[in-house]
Amino acid sequence: MKPMPNFPPVDGSTEPHEARDGDARPGSGVEQSDLELVRRVQRGERGAFDLLVLRYQHKVVKLVSRLLRDPSEAEDVAQEAFVKAYRALGSFRGDSAFYTWLYRIAVNTARNTMAARQRRPLAYEAELSENEQTVVESRMRHGDTPEATVLSDEIHRTVNSAVEELPEDLRTAIILREIEGLSYEEIAEAMDCPVGTVRSRIFRAREAIDRSLKPLLD
Amino acid sequence: MTDQIREQMSALLDGELPSGEVGLLVRRMERDAELRRAFGVYVLAGESLRSPGGVTASPGFAARVAADIDDGAIGMRTDDPVAAPRTPLRWRRPLAAAAVAAGAALAAVLLVRPDADPGVPYAANAAQEAGAAFPALPVGGASPTPAQNQRLSGYLVVHGQYASPIGRRNIWSSALAADPGINRVGYENPEKP
Repeated sequence: MKPMPNFPPVDGSTEPHEARDGDARPGSGVEQSDLELVRRVQRGERGAFDLLVLRYQHKVVKLVSRLLRDPSEAEDVAQEAFVKAYRALGSFRGDSAFYTWLYRIAVNTARNTMAARQRRPLAYEAELSENEQTVVESRMRHGDTPEATVLSDEIHRTVNSAVEELPEDLRTAIILREIEGLSYEEIAEAMDCPVGTVRSRIFRAREAIDRSLKPLLD
Repeated sequence: MTDQIREQMSALLDGELPSGEVGLLVRRMERDAELRRAFGVYVLAGESLRSPGGVTASPGFAARVAADIDDGAIGMRTDDPVAAPRTPLRWRRPLAAAAVAAGAALAAVLLVRPDADPGVPYAANAAQEAGAAFPALPVGGASPTPAQNQRLSGYLVVHGQYASPIGRRNIWSSALAADPGINRVGYENPEKP
Protein backbone atom coordinates (compact mmCIF):
# COMPACT_ATOMS: atom_id res chain seq x y z
CA MET A 1 0.00 0.00 0.00
CA LYS A 2 1.42 3.35 -1.00
CA PRO A 3 1.88 5.93 1.75
CA MET A 4 -0.47 8.88 1.68
CA PRO A 5 1.12 12.05 0.36
CA ASN A 6 1.93 14.81 2.79
CA PHE A 7 -0.84 17.34 2.81
CA PRO A 8 -0.16 21.05 3.09
CA PRO A 9 -1.49 22.75 6.22
CA VAL A 10 -5.22 22.30 6.50
CA ASP A 11 -5.90 25.94 7.20
CA GLY A 12 -4.18 26.99 4.01
CA SER A 13 -1.73 29.08 5.98
CA THR A 14 0.87 28.95 3.23
CA GLU A 15 -0.28 32.42 2.35
CA PRO A 16 0.39 34.82 5.22
CA HIS A 17 -2.61 37.02 4.61
CA GLU A 18 -4.96 34.07 5.08
CA ALA A 19 -3.75 33.52 8.61
CA ARG A 20 -5.45 36.76 9.59
CA ASP A 21 -8.48 35.99 7.54
CA GLY A 22 -10.58 36.64 10.61
CA ASP A 23 -13.72 35.15 9.11
CA ALA A 24 -14.18 32.64 11.84
CA ARG A 25 -11.81 33.33 14.68
CA PRO A 26 -12.46 31.27 17.81
CA GLY A 27 -15.36 32.75 19.68
CA SER A 28 -15.91 35.32 16.96
CA GLY A 29 -19.28 36.53 15.78
CA VAL A 30 -18.97 34.44 12.65
CA GLU A 31 -18.48 31.31 14.74
CA GLN A 32 -21.58 32.16 16.75
CA SER A 33 -23.47 32.94 13.58
CA ASP A 34 -22.44 29.58 12.12
CA LEU A 35 -23.66 27.83 15.22
CA GLU A 36 -26.96 29.65 15.01
CA LEU A 37 -27.36 28.52 11.39
CA VAL A 38 -26.38 24.95 12.30
CA ARG A 39 -29.02 24.84 15.04
CA ARG A 40 -31.58 26.02 12.53
CA VAL A 41 -30.61 23.28 10.07
CA GLN A 42 -30.87 20.76 12.89
CA ARG A 43 -34.39 22.01 13.59
CA GLY A 44 -35.30 21.42 9.95
CA GLU A 45 -34.60 24.80 8.33
CA ARG A 46 -32.94 23.52 5.19
CA GLY A 47 -32.36 27.07 3.86
CA ALA A 48 -29.88 27.77 6.66
CA PHE A 49 -27.58 25.08 5.25
CA ASP A 50 -27.60 26.83 1.86
CA LEU A 51 -26.18 29.90 3.60
CA LEU A 52 -23.43 27.84 5.20
CA VAL A 53 -22.57 26.44 1.77
CA LEU A 54 -22.51 29.94 0.30
CA ARG A 55 -20.28 31.13 3.13
CA TYR A 56 -17.73 28.31 2.93
CA GLN A 57 -17.88 27.15 -0.69
CA HIS A 58 -14.78 29.05 -1.81
CA LYS A 59 -12.74 28.10 1.23
CA VAL A 60 -13.59 24.42 0.91
CA VAL A 61 -12.99 24.32 -2.85
CA LYS A 62 -9.66 26.06 -2.31
CA LEU A 63 -8.66 23.71 0.50
CA VAL A 64 -9.59 20.59 -1.47
CA SER A 65 -7.85 21.94 -4.55
CA ARG A 66 -4.62 22.31 -2.55
CA LEU A 67 -4.94 18.86 -1.04
CA LEU A 68 -5.60 17.13 -4.34
CA ARG A 69 -3.11 19.25 -6.26
CA ASP A 70 -5.65 18.99 -9.05
CA PRO A 71 -8.17 21.83 -9.31
CA SER A 72 -10.19 19.91 -11.89
CA GLU A 73 -11.43 17.48 -9.24
CA ALA A 74 -11.78 19.99 -6.45
CA GLU A 75 -15.38 21.00 -7.00
CA ASP A 76 -16.70 17.45 -7.17
CA VAL A 77 -14.88 16.51 -3.99
CA ALA A 78 -15.94 19.73 -2.25
CA GLN A 79 -19.53 19.04 -3.28
CA GLU A 80 -19.30 15.56 -1.82
CA ALA A 81 -17.87 17.01 1.39
CA PHE A 82 -20.78 19.43 1.76
CA VAL A 83 -23.32 16.67 1.20
CA LYS A 84 -21.55 14.53 3.81
CA ALA A 85 -21.56 17.48 6.18
CA TYR A 86 -25.30 17.95 5.69
CA ARG A 87 -25.97 14.30 6.34
CA ALA A 88 -23.88 14.37 9.50
CA LEU A 89 -25.04 17.71 10.81
CA GLY A 90 -27.38 15.98 13.24
CA SER A 91 -24.32 14.79 15.15
CA PHE A 92 -22.66 18.22 15.31
CA ARG A 93 -22.74 19.33 18.93
CA GLY A 94 -20.80 22.56 18.62
CA ASP A 95 -17.78 21.30 20.59
CA SER A 96 -15.60 22.73 17.85
CA ALA A 97 -16.26 25.53 15.39
CA PHE A 98 -18.45 24.54 12.47
CA TYR A 99 -15.77 25.46 9.93
CA THR A 100 -13.20 23.26 11.73
CA TRP A 101 -15.62 20.35 11.60
CA LEU A 102 -16.44 21.07 7.97
CA TYR A 103 -12.74 21.29 7.05
CA ARG A 104 -12.10 17.92 8.68
CA ILE A 105 -14.83 16.37 6.55
CA ALA A 106 -13.34 18.02 3.47
CA VAL A 107 -9.85 16.75 4.34
CA ASN A 108 -11.15 13.20 4.88
CA THR A 109 -13.09 13.30 1.62
CA ALA A 110 -9.99 14.51 -0.21
CA ARG A 111 -7.92 11.74 1.40
CA ASN A 112 -10.45 9.13 0.24
CA THR A 113 -10.27 10.57 -3.26
CA MET A 114 -6.46 10.44 -3.20
CA ALA A 115 -6.55 6.85 -2.01
CA ALA A 116 -9.03 5.89 -4.73
CA ARG A 117 -6.87 7.66 -7.30
CA GLN A 118 -3.84 5.61 -6.23
CA ARG A 119 -5.82 2.41 -6.65
CA ARG A 120 -7.11 3.46 -10.07
CA PRO A 121 -5.10 2.08 -13.01
CA LEU A 122 -3.77 4.60 -15.49
CA ALA A 123 -5.57 4.66 -18.82
CA TYR A 124 -3.53 5.18 -21.95
CA GLU A 125 -6.26 4.65 -24.48
CA ALA A 126 -6.57 7.41 -27.01
CA GLU A 127 -10.33 7.23 -26.90
CA LEU A 128 -12.17 8.17 -23.75
CA SER A 129 -14.41 5.59 -22.17
CA GLU A 130 -18.00 6.54 -21.50
CA ASN A 131 -17.20 7.12 -17.84
CA GLU A 132 -14.21 9.31 -18.60
CA GLN A 133 -16.25 11.28 -21.08
CA THR A 134 -18.78 11.92 -18.33
CA VAL A 135 -16.02 13.14 -16.00
CA VAL A 136 -14.66 15.49 -18.63
CA GLU A 137 -18.12 16.82 -19.37
CA SER A 138 -18.72 17.27 -15.67
CA ARG A 139 -15.51 19.28 -15.33
CA MET A 140 -16.41 21.43 -18.28
CA ARG A 141 -19.85 22.00 -16.84
CA HIS A 142 -18.40 22.91 -13.44
CA GLY A 143 -16.26 25.59 -14.91
CA ASP A 144 -12.77 24.05 -14.71
CA THR A 145 -11.87 25.51 -18.04
CA PRO A 146 -9.37 28.12 -19.15
CA GLU A 147 -12.33 30.48 -19.47
CA ALA A 148 -13.15 29.92 -15.80
CA THR A 149 -9.59 30.75 -14.80
CA VAL A 150 -9.80 33.94 -16.80
CA LEU A 151 -13.11 34.71 -15.12
CA SER A 152 -11.54 34.20 -11.70
CA ASP A 153 -8.77 36.66 -12.52
CA GLU A 154 -11.29 39.07 -13.95
CA ILE A 155 -13.37 38.86 -10.77
CA HIS A 156 -10.30 39.64 -8.70
CA ARG A 157 -9.42 42.65 -10.85
CA THR A 158 -13.00 43.94 -10.77
CA VAL A 159 -13.29 43.60 -7.00
CA ASN A 160 -10.00 45.40 -6.44
CA SER A 161 -10.91 48.09 -8.87
CA ALA A 162 -14.30 48.57 -7.20
CA VAL A 163 -12.63 48.83 -3.79
CA GLU A 164 -10.14 51.39 -5.13
CA GLU A 165 -12.99 53.52 -6.36
CA LEU A 166 -14.86 53.50 -3.05
CA PRO A 167 -14.97 56.62 -0.88
CA GLU A 168 -12.27 56.42 1.75
CA ASP A 169 -14.59 55.67 4.69
CA LEU A 170 -16.20 52.73 2.88
CA ARG A 171 -12.85 51.46 1.60
CA THR A 172 -11.29 51.56 5.06
CA ALA A 173 -14.27 49.78 6.62
CA ILE A 174 -14.36 46.94 4.07
CA ILE A 175 -10.58 46.43 4.18
CA LEU A 176 -10.53 46.33 7.99
CA ARG A 177 -13.32 43.80 7.90
CA GLU A 178 -12.41 41.55 4.98
CA ILE A 179 -8.63 41.67 5.00
CA GLU A 180 -7.79 42.43 8.62
CA GLY A 181 -10.74 40.48 9.99
CA LEU A 182 -11.71 43.03 12.64
CA SER A 183 -15.09 42.93 14.31
CA TYR A 184 -17.54 45.81 13.86
CA GLU A 185 -16.70 47.01 17.34
CA GLU A 186 -12.98 47.00 16.63
CA ILE A 187 -13.55 48.84 13.35
CA ALA A 188 -15.76 51.37 15.11
CA GLU A 189 -12.95 52.00 17.57
CA ALA A 190 -10.36 52.29 14.82
CA MET A 191 -12.50 54.63 12.74
CA ASP A 192 -13.91 56.49 15.71
CA CYS A 193 -17.55 56.07 14.70
CA PRO A 194 -20.61 54.16 15.96
CA VAL A 195 -20.95 50.43 15.27
CA GLY A 196 -24.12 51.11 13.26
CA THR A 197 -22.12 53.33 10.93
CA VAL A 198 -19.56 50.60 10.43
CA ARG A 199 -22.30 48.15 9.56
CA SER A 200 -23.77 50.58 7.04
CA ARG A 201 -20.38 51.39 5.47
CA ILE A 202 -19.47 47.75 5.01
CA PHE A 203 -22.87 47.08 3.47
CA ARG A 204 -22.55 49.99 1.05
CA ALA A 205 -19.07 48.89 0.06
CA ARG A 206 -20.37 45.41 -0.70
CA GLU A 207 -23.24 46.80 -2.70
CA ALA A 208 -20.79 48.81 -4.81
CA ILE A 209 -18.69 45.71 -5.43
CA ASP A 210 -21.85 43.76 -6.32
CA ARG A 211 -22.81 46.38 -8.89
CA SER A 212 -19.35 46.14 -10.46
CA LEU A 213 -19.40 42.37 -10.55
CA LYS A 214 -22.93 41.92 -11.81
CA PRO A 215 -22.20 42.36 -15.54
CA LEU A 216 -19.36 39.87 -15.19
CA LEU A 217 -21.34 37.19 -13.38
CA ASP A 218 -24.68 37.50 -15.20
CA MET B 1 -36.87 47.78 2.80
CA THR B 2 -34.68 45.78 0.44
CA ASP B 3 -31.61 47.76 1.48
CA GLN B 4 -32.44 47.09 5.09
CA ILE B 5 -32.68 43.37 4.42
CA ARG B 6 -29.47 43.36 2.42
CA GLU B 7 -27.71 45.25 5.20
CA GLN B 8 -28.91 42.59 7.60
CA MET B 9 -27.53 39.99 5.21
CA SER B 10 -24.16 41.74 5.17
CA ALA B 11 -24.14 41.79 8.98
CA LEU B 12 -25.08 38.08 9.03
CA LEU B 13 -22.09 37.30 6.85
CA ASP B 14 -19.86 39.05 9.37
CA GLY B 15 -21.52 37.34 12.32
CA GLU B 16 -22.75 40.70 13.55
CA LEU B 17 -26.51 40.28 13.13
CA PRO B 18 -28.43 40.07 16.41
CA SER B 19 -29.63 36.53 17.02
CA GLY B 20 -33.27 37.58 17.08
CA GLU B 21 -33.09 38.82 13.50
CA VAL B 22 -31.48 35.71 12.02
CA GLY B 23 -34.57 33.51 11.74
CA LEU B 24 -36.68 35.89 9.69
CA LEU B 25 -33.75 36.73 7.42
CA VAL B 26 -32.94 33.05 6.78
CA ARG B 27 -36.55 32.40 5.81
CA ARG B 28 -36.56 35.43 3.52
CA MET B 29 -33.35 34.29 1.86
CA GLU B 30 -34.76 30.81 1.41
CA ARG B 31 -37.57 32.30 -0.68
CA ASP B 32 -35.59 34.98 -2.48
CA ALA B 33 -33.02 33.88 -5.07
CA GLU B 34 -31.79 37.45 -5.58
CA LEU B 35 -30.89 37.74 -1.89
CA ARG B 36 -28.99 34.45 -2.07
CA ARG B 37 -27.19 35.63 -5.19
CA ALA B 38 -26.16 38.86 -3.47
CA PHE B 39 -25.00 36.94 -0.39
CA GLY B 40 -22.87 34.78 -2.67
CA VAL B 41 -21.34 37.88 -4.25
CA TYR B 42 -20.55 39.36 -0.82
CA VAL B 43 -18.74 36.13 0.05
CA LEU B 44 -16.93 36.05 -3.29
CA ALA B 45 -15.79 39.66 -2.91
CA GLY B 46 -14.29 38.89 0.49
CA GLU B 47 -12.53 35.78 -0.79
CA SER B 48 -11.19 37.68 -3.76
CA LEU B 49 -9.82 40.44 -1.54
CA ARG B 50 -8.18 38.00 0.84
CA SER B 51 -6.64 35.56 -1.61
CA PRO B 52 -6.00 37.02 -5.03
CA GLY B 53 -5.74 34.50 -7.80
CA GLY B 54 -6.86 31.60 -5.66
CA VAL B 55 -9.25 28.91 -6.76
CA THR B 56 -12.86 29.77 -6.08
CA ALA B 57 -16.04 27.79 -6.42
CA SER B 58 -17.67 28.31 -9.77
CA PRO B 59 -21.01 30.09 -10.04
CA GLY B 60 -23.79 27.66 -9.28
CA PHE B 61 -21.72 25.50 -6.94
CA ALA B 62 -24.04 26.10 -3.98
CA ALA B 63 -27.07 25.41 -6.17
CA ARG B 64 -25.53 22.09 -7.22
CA VAL B 65 -24.98 21.09 -3.60
CA ALA B 66 -28.57 22.02 -2.81
CA ALA B 67 -29.81 20.01 -5.80
CA ASP B 68 -27.66 17.06 -4.75
CA ILE B 69 -29.25 17.12 -1.31
CA ASP B 70 -32.76 17.56 -2.69
CA ASP B 71 -32.43 14.99 -5.50
CA GLY B 72 -31.06 12.35 -3.21
CA ALA B 73 -33.63 13.19 -0.53
CA ILE B 74 -30.71 13.16 1.86
CA GLY B 75 -31.62 13.27 5.50
CA MET B 76 -29.46 14.08 8.47
CA ARG B 77 -27.86 11.18 10.31
CA THR B 78 -26.62 11.24 13.85
CA ASP B 79 -23.27 9.56 13.26
CA ASP B 80 -20.24 11.72 12.68
CA PRO B 81 -18.14 10.97 9.59
CA VAL B 82 -15.23 12.79 11.19
CA ALA B 83 -15.24 10.95 14.48
CA ALA B 84 -16.53 7.61 13.27
CA PRO B 85 -14.69 6.03 10.37
CA ARG B 86 -16.47 3.52 8.19
CA THR B 87 -17.27 0.39 10.13
CA PRO B 88 -17.30 -3.00 8.44
CA LEU B 89 -20.76 -4.45 7.97
CA ARG B 90 -19.85 -7.61 9.90
CA TRP B 91 -21.09 -6.26 13.22
CA ARG B 92 -24.58 -5.74 11.83
CA ARG B 93 -25.23 -9.43 11.31
CA PRO B 94 -25.23 -10.58 14.97
CA LEU B 95 -27.04 -7.42 15.98
CA ALA B 96 -29.79 -8.05 13.43
CA ALA B 97 -30.00 -11.67 14.53
CA ALA B 98 -30.36 -10.60 18.16
CA ALA B 99 -33.08 -8.10 17.19
CA VAL B 100 -35.00 -10.78 15.28
CA ALA B 101 -34.63 -13.22 18.18
CA ALA B 102 -35.87 -10.61 20.65
CA GLY B 103 -38.84 -9.81 18.42
CA ALA B 104 -39.72 -13.45 18.04
CA ALA B 105 -39.46 -13.99 21.79
CA LEU B 106 -41.76 -11.09 22.49
CA ALA B 107 -44.30 -12.28 19.92
CA ALA B 108 -44.18 -15.76 21.40
CA VAL B 109 -44.72 -14.43 24.92
CA LEU B 110 -47.67 -12.35 23.80
CA LEU B 111 -49.25 -15.29 22.02
CA VAL B 112 -48.58 -18.03 24.57
CA ARG B 113 -50.16 -16.81 27.80
CA PRO B 114 -51.70 -19.49 30.00
CA ASP B 115 -54.06 -17.05 31.72
CA ALA B 116 -54.86 -14.87 28.74
CA ASP B 117 -58.45 -13.83 28.23
CA PRO B 118 -59.63 -14.43 24.67
CA GLY B 119 -61.65 -11.26 24.88
CA VAL B 120 -58.64 -9.04 25.50
CA PRO B 121 -58.21 -6.98 22.32
CA TYR B 122 -54.41 -6.84 22.25
CA ALA B 123 -54.18 -10.62 22.29
CA ALA B 124 -56.57 -10.88 19.38
CA ASN B 125 -54.75 -8.19 17.44
CA ALA B 126 -51.41 -9.80 18.12
CA ALA B 127 -52.77 -13.09 16.99
CA GLN B 128 -54.04 -11.59 13.75
CA GLU B 129 -50.81 -9.77 13.05
CA ALA B 130 -48.59 -12.67 13.94
CA GLY B 131 -50.83 -15.33 12.51
CA ALA B 132 -49.13 -15.36 9.16
CA ALA B 133 -45.66 -15.44 10.65
CA PHE B 134 -46.38 -18.09 13.27
CA PRO B 135 -49.22 -20.19 11.88
CA ALA B 136 -48.32 -23.21 13.99
CA LEU B 137 -48.58 -21.40 17.32
CA PRO B 138 -51.85 -21.53 19.21
CA VAL B 139 -53.69 -18.23 19.24
CA GLY B 140 -56.46 -16.91 21.39
CA GLY B 141 -56.90 -17.97 24.98
CA ALA B 142 -55.99 -21.64 24.82
CA SER B 143 -53.51 -22.65 27.52
CA PRO B 144 -50.22 -24.02 26.26
CA THR B 145 -49.43 -27.59 26.81
CA PRO B 146 -46.57 -28.49 29.21
CA ALA B 147 -44.48 -29.34 26.15
CA GLN B 148 -45.06 -25.88 24.71
CA ASN B 149 -44.18 -24.28 28.03
CA GLN B 150 -41.01 -26.29 28.15
CA ARG B 151 -40.09 -25.29 24.61
CA LEU B 152 -40.73 -21.61 25.32
CA SER B 153 -38.67 -21.69 28.47
CA GLY B 154 -35.86 -23.35 26.65
CA TYR B 155 -36.00 -20.68 24.01
CA LEU B 156 -35.88 -17.90 26.58
CA VAL B 157 -32.88 -19.47 28.26
CA VAL B 158 -31.03 -19.83 24.99
CA HIS B 159 -31.94 -16.30 24.01
CA GLY B 160 -30.72 -15.02 27.36
CA GLN B 161 -27.37 -16.71 26.88
CA TYR B 162 -26.80 -15.02 23.53
CA ALA B 163 -28.30 -11.60 24.29
CA SER B 164 -25.94 -8.84 25.43
CA PRO B 165 -25.71 -8.18 29.18
CA ILE B 166 -27.36 -4.81 28.61
CA GLY B 167 -30.23 -6.38 26.74
CA ARG B 168 -30.88 -8.86 29.52
CA ARG B 169 -31.70 -6.05 31.89
CA ASN B 170 -33.87 -3.96 29.64
CA ILE B 171 -37.49 -2.95 29.94
CA TRP B 172 -38.74 -6.12 28.27
CA SER B 173 -36.84 -8.28 30.75
CA SER B 174 -38.61 -6.47 33.57
CA ALA B 175 -41.99 -6.85 31.90
CA LEU B 176 -41.44 -10.54 31.31
CA ALA B 177 -40.24 -11.07 34.86
CA ALA B 178 -43.33 -9.37 36.24
CA ASP B 179 -45.72 -11.38 34.07
CA PRO B 180 -47.27 -14.18 36.13
CA GLY B 181 -48.16 -15.95 32.91
CA ILE B 182 -44.54 -16.78 32.21
CA ASN B 183 -43.57 -20.15 33.54
CA ARG B 184 -39.82 -20.10 33.98
CA VAL B 185 -39.32 -23.81 33.93
CA GLY B 186 -35.76 -24.95 33.95
CA TYR B 187 -34.24 -21.51 34.17
CA GLU B 188 -33.08 -21.45 37.78
CA ASN B 189 -30.83 -24.06 39.27
CA PRO B 190 -33.20 -26.43 41.10
CA GLU B 191 -30.56 -27.19 43.73
CA LYS B 192 -30.43 -23.59 44.93
CA PRO B 193 -33.00 -22.46 47.50
